[in-house]
Amino acid sequence: MPGDPTVLTGGALDALVRQIIADVLVVSLERVRPEAAMGADLGAESIDYLDLLFRLEEAFGKPVQPSRWTDFLRRRLPAGNFGTSITVAVVREFAEQEAGT
Amino acid sequence: MAERVVVTGVGVVTPVGTDLAAFAAAVRAGRSGVSRITAFDCESFETRIAAQVGPEFDPAAYAQPPKAAKLMSRAAAFAVAAAAMARDDAALAPDAVAGDRLGVSLGAGGMGPADVDMVEGQLETVVEVVRRSGIEAFAIPSFARVYRERTNPLSMLRGLPNLAAAHVAIQHGARGPNTTVATACTAGTQAVGDGLRMIQRGEADVVLAGGADAMINPVGVLGFSMLGTLSSRNDDPPRASRPFDLERDGFVIGEGAGVVVLEREAFARARGARIWAELAGYAATCDAYRLTDERPDAEGASAAIRRCLADADIAPADVGYVNAHGTGTRMNDLMETRAIKAALGTHAQHVPVSSTKSMIGHLLAAAGAVELATSLLALRDGFLPPTINYQTPDPECDLDYVPNVARPARIGVALSNSFGFGGQNACLAIRRC
Repeated sequence: MPGDPTVLTGGALDALVRQIIADVLVVSLERVRPEAAMGADLGAESIDYLDLLFRLEEAFGKPVQPSRWTDFLRRRLPAGNFGTSITVAVVREFAEQEAGT
Repeated sequence: MAERVVVTGVGVVTPVGTDLAAFAAAVRAGRSGVSRITAFDCESFETRIAAQVGPEFDPAAYAQPPKAAKLMSRAAAFAVAAAAMARDDAALAPDAVAGDRLGVSLGAGGMGPADVDMVEGQLETVVEVVRRSGIEAFAIPSFARVYRERTNPLSMLRGLPNLAAAHVAIQHGARGPNTTVATACTAGTQAVGDGLRMIQRGEADVVLAGGADAMINPVGVLGFSMLGTLSSRNDDPPRASRPFDLERDGFVIGEGAGVVVLEREAFARARGARIWAELAGYAATCDAYRLTDERPDAEGASAAIRRCLADADIAPADVGYVNAHGTGTRMNDLMETRAIKAALGTHAQHVPVSSTKSMIGHLLAAAGAVELATSLLALRDGFLPPTINYQTPDPECDLDYVPNVARPARIGVALSNSFGFGGQNACLAIRRC
């Protein structure tokens, strides 16, 4: 269901990102808090990010290339241990960038 | 002398029961699991019947973490469930075996990418390409664009046949040898045989061995149907699978999984495990003749049975039961009858032979594993499972096929045969201990 990216701000974007993460990782929505680490807390493995990007792409109705995600991570978490430093909030930041461009 | 290997656990997912107790009751009662296909709209298909695993099977029930289920093909979900139930049956606690001494050996089909939803997804993609650009413009570049846009990037992982064994290993922390056998209808039997060898070679103390398959999808049914191998007795599904009967018209496609826990006997005894039977022997051969025709002299199949007996050091006269491959195709049943006679000699006329496929259809890469489970039940519970739908004897198939009704019997040794497209033949022997 292609969405209109312009409406996906603030609370609506929050809700969308949290729901997608809950669906991808098959965890309850309550566990998807902004500070939760995708890997260490929610069990994400590398391929789960491909699933996540695909679902963002569906939601935004436009391509979200995996290379944009890796570029974003390199900028955002230059020295990060991805297992603990990619949090739900970081994913939301990326989604906001993609929704707005 | 090689170390003895025993079976300590059995788990099955079948069209007549999604756990061992339900399956045992059904094969003893001679119940058919064949019905009209509900997995997809089969109206335009020549064959509209199959032996399907019922909706009570929950693919997510055994997946840990739950997200693992998302990446499992239907066959992989069957394998994971059967492995979990087999391990429960073996009462093998998480710390009872070191991860690096626990192996996995599974038979798998080659059709994972054809689960019903995946076939539908690919068709919808083609339709979308045509809708956007017209049939004249249909070409791979436009297909690639639309496919990429519509297809979850992880979907390929559901199609790789070796990933069922990977899922099982992850669920059980099985860091020992891990293998996948892809010899079609022989795969489940060969995978159990390979598991036996892993233990005999000293590579593992415990192996989860078996097979899983799920080809009741449009491509699988059409494929076997177009090869002329499927029964099209659509008006009477429970009577369609009739191995060794003169009126047989092909096999009925089934789905499911079977897994056994194999253990080095000394290891099993040391932990006080309950033992089902010794897995006493195994052999595999190939016809090297034609792709799907079996050798008229049945030499490849009979050699597999003879070598299995030799491997187990069993005399033909000691065989108390043969669980046949018994597909219900004209050729298989005739050749298998010849092979049993050639391998067992005069004893063939006295040994009961029956086909589980008469009840559950042909589980393809899972068949050998589920049929081994049938023989284990027969040995433990003291009965011979029947060949149902046996009405009209075929003069060329003249053994005791245990027609229609189970029979009480105390079996000491049972054989389980599997023969596949490709001419690959395999046989397993179990012995009471």
